[in-house]
Amino acid sequence: MNRDAILTAPARFPRLLLPAGEAGPATDLSAAVEAGAFAALRKAVEELQPQGVLAAVAESGMLGRGGSGLTLGDKWRACARAGAAGDAHYVVVNGYQSDPAVQTDRVLLETNPFAVLEGAAIAAFAVGAAEVLVAVRVEAADAIRTLETAIEAAEKAGYLGEGILGSTVDIRVSVSPLQGSYMLGEETVLLKALEGKRGQPEQQPPYTTERGLFGKPTLVHGPQTLAAVPVILNGGMDGFEWTGPRDFAGTVLVQLSGAVLRPGIAEVPFGVTLSEIVDIAGGLPPSHRLKALLVGGPSGGILPPEAMSLVYDHENLERAGAHIGSGSIVVVDQHSCVVDLAAVLTRFCADEACGKTIPCRIGLRRLAEIGSRICEGQPRGDEVTRLSDLAHDVAASALCAHERRATLALASLVRYFRDELDAHILRNSCPAGICHPKADARAGATS
Amino acid sequence: MSFIPGLGIAKGMGLTLRRFFAPKATIQYPETAPDVAVRFRGRLQLLYDELGNVKCETCFQCAQACPVECIDMGGFDTRGRFHVHWGAAEQFAERREESALRRSGRPVPDTAYEHFGGIDTAPVDAILKRHDYDQKMILAILADIQDVYGYLPVAALKRASQVSGAPYALLYGTATYYSQFHFEKPGRTVAICRCTTCALAGAGRVARTLARELHTEIGRRPTAGGVALESLHSHIAGAASPLVTLDGRPHPVTAASAAAWARSLTAASESPASAGRTDA
Repeated sequence: MNRDAILTAPARFPRLLLPAGEAGPATDLSAAVEAGAFAALRKAVEELQPQGVLAAVAESGMLGRGGSGLTLGDKWRACARAGAAGDAHYVVVNGYQSDPAVQTDRVLLETNPFAVLEGAAIAAFAVGAAEVLVAVRVEAADAIRTLETAIEAAEKAGYLGEGILGSTVDIRVSVSPLQGSYMLGEETVLLKALEGKRGQPEQQPPYTTERGLFGKPTLVHGPQTLAAVPVILNGGMDGFEWTGPRDFAGTVLVQLSGAVLRPGIAEVPFGVTLSEIVDIAGGLPPSHRLKALLVGGPSGGILPPEAMSLVYDHENLERAGAHIGSGSIVVVDQHSCVVDLAAVLTRFCADEACGKTIPCRIGLRRLAEIGSRICEGQPRGDEVTRLSDLAHDVAASALCAHERRATLALASLVRYFRDELDAHILRNSCPAGICHPKADARAGATS
Repeated sequence: MSFIPGLGIAKGMGLTLRRFFAPKATIQYPETAPDVAVRFRGRLQLLYDELGNVKCETCFQCAQACPVECIDMGGFDTRGRFHVHWGAAEQFAERREESALRRSGRPVPDTAYEHFGGIDTAPVDAILKRHDYDQKMILAILADIQDVYGYLPVAALKRASQVSGAPYALLYGTATYYSQFHFEKPGRTVAICRCTTCALAGAGRVARTLARELHTEIGRRPTAGGVALESLHSHIAGAASPLVTLDGRPHPVTAASAAAWARSLTAASESPASAGRTDA
């Protein structure tokens, strides 16, 4: 159903995650096997054995897509080593995708469920886990249905379930539909929800690879990372010629929206520039001028037009004050106000905060209030200094990634859009003409 | 006493040297866990802000962690979303609010106990049996209870705690975290999408206007007969931005038309409530 949201990328961009061309129904196992599904799992079980898989993954040097900076190899080794002998291990597929505007993981699960399941099964085989939990949003009903059909078909064919591929290894896969909080995208919060508890993040270390689900060693990966694992084992990443660093070889799914001609989802290799990505969506409509790019979702950074030449990978975005995050890229044109956008996003992040740490619970709220005061034309004193100090303090004392990144929107405003801030604060006017600071101030005085 | 040059320094260095070889007291938390009794939870202290308000967030973390279930709490949660129905009314904010109302001569609403009304708890027992009284299935159990009653009545949660042996704080504290669970009979609900695309299309201004006109805030419990304002957790595919729904169905609203629409909503839902007030 969501397949028509996939944009056609240039032919030179490889397609590793999404099925190429016009594919049949995603749950057709025999067609998928013909196309190469579960070949890597067979290789892992019959040839490589857990040690071989760990070595192959470590050799690829690939980093997890979540941006933690840990290589897959280190994470898997740590998880395989952790726990007492005979202790249960778990693999959790984090397909929750909390960004309300982004559906990349959902589309991946709907169009290519076997790749994700195969990657999860290989991970479970390598670390000795007998159970795989796929966490999905309740709202993604199509993805849940597709996954359940796919799991059933794969179990019947002996790829999953008891004694996979004629071996003595059991790998049971189940789908866990979750809902009710933005914070569930954070890995420790997700594990709490899977345990049926209140979702509050945990301090790391101990890392989830040592003490995760039900206190047992757990491997948590996004569907995109896992779908790339069979490609690694099949040797698909070798000779992958892109300008990006080798440890970020592979592709990522991005969601393009905002002022573009064709909003949708695209698969792009790491190492291309943001302008190449925006071109896939047809660029800006005529007579629209690029003002900013919101990269990374609600907790992302707002980058200036010069960032179009920026290479899309973890390191470069982090340096520019954004992050890959949910893979969302929102194009902002001259009709939108970046100050209003940053204030609204910070308010959202503050409302969704779980309240465990005080800098996040109170600091984000104060940041959102500063943002809306600027938008309403009622600044108090030196708001810009207060804003940068507070944003720095909140990010520095962060417990989880949400807290660290929720400050990015306003912080990048101070960094790149001082003229817009000055227009609001000093001249009491909004360049885009939507904040109407004076009109709002009058309404506030009379009510 | 004769003065010996350097005695002070020697004494100081002696202490340094003794401490240097003494066993170390610093623990590298969280890499190393401190060696304390299994049921040790530290000392509890309620903090007050400069205005004298309890800083408690009613997050139930302390009650859930308490091994003997001796912690109870009452009052409104700090974000004003719902009434906390746990423990005796003599605790904390609830008592304070009541006496303030009495002193000012206004009637005291019995919000603490209206949730304890008798209900038929047979469905709760059946649900728990179906889930094998498993504490890991709390989210599924709560969802099933809400399906039966339309909301989560306190009596049902108490029954679930009694029968399953799960501490009440575990059930209640978990239920208060997830936005799909309600503790009051649901009324009319306006939900607003807060995704980045909608934010760009002016959802923030629509939300501000709606909150002002509906006299509430996003996620906050509405006043009696009021309209609840919530945020959508996912953009409905294909719906236009900014996306606003009324009782689950998309409703076209712009920043300009939001105020008039909200006023028409409150006018429609207020008339029966205000009629009841004049009768009493």
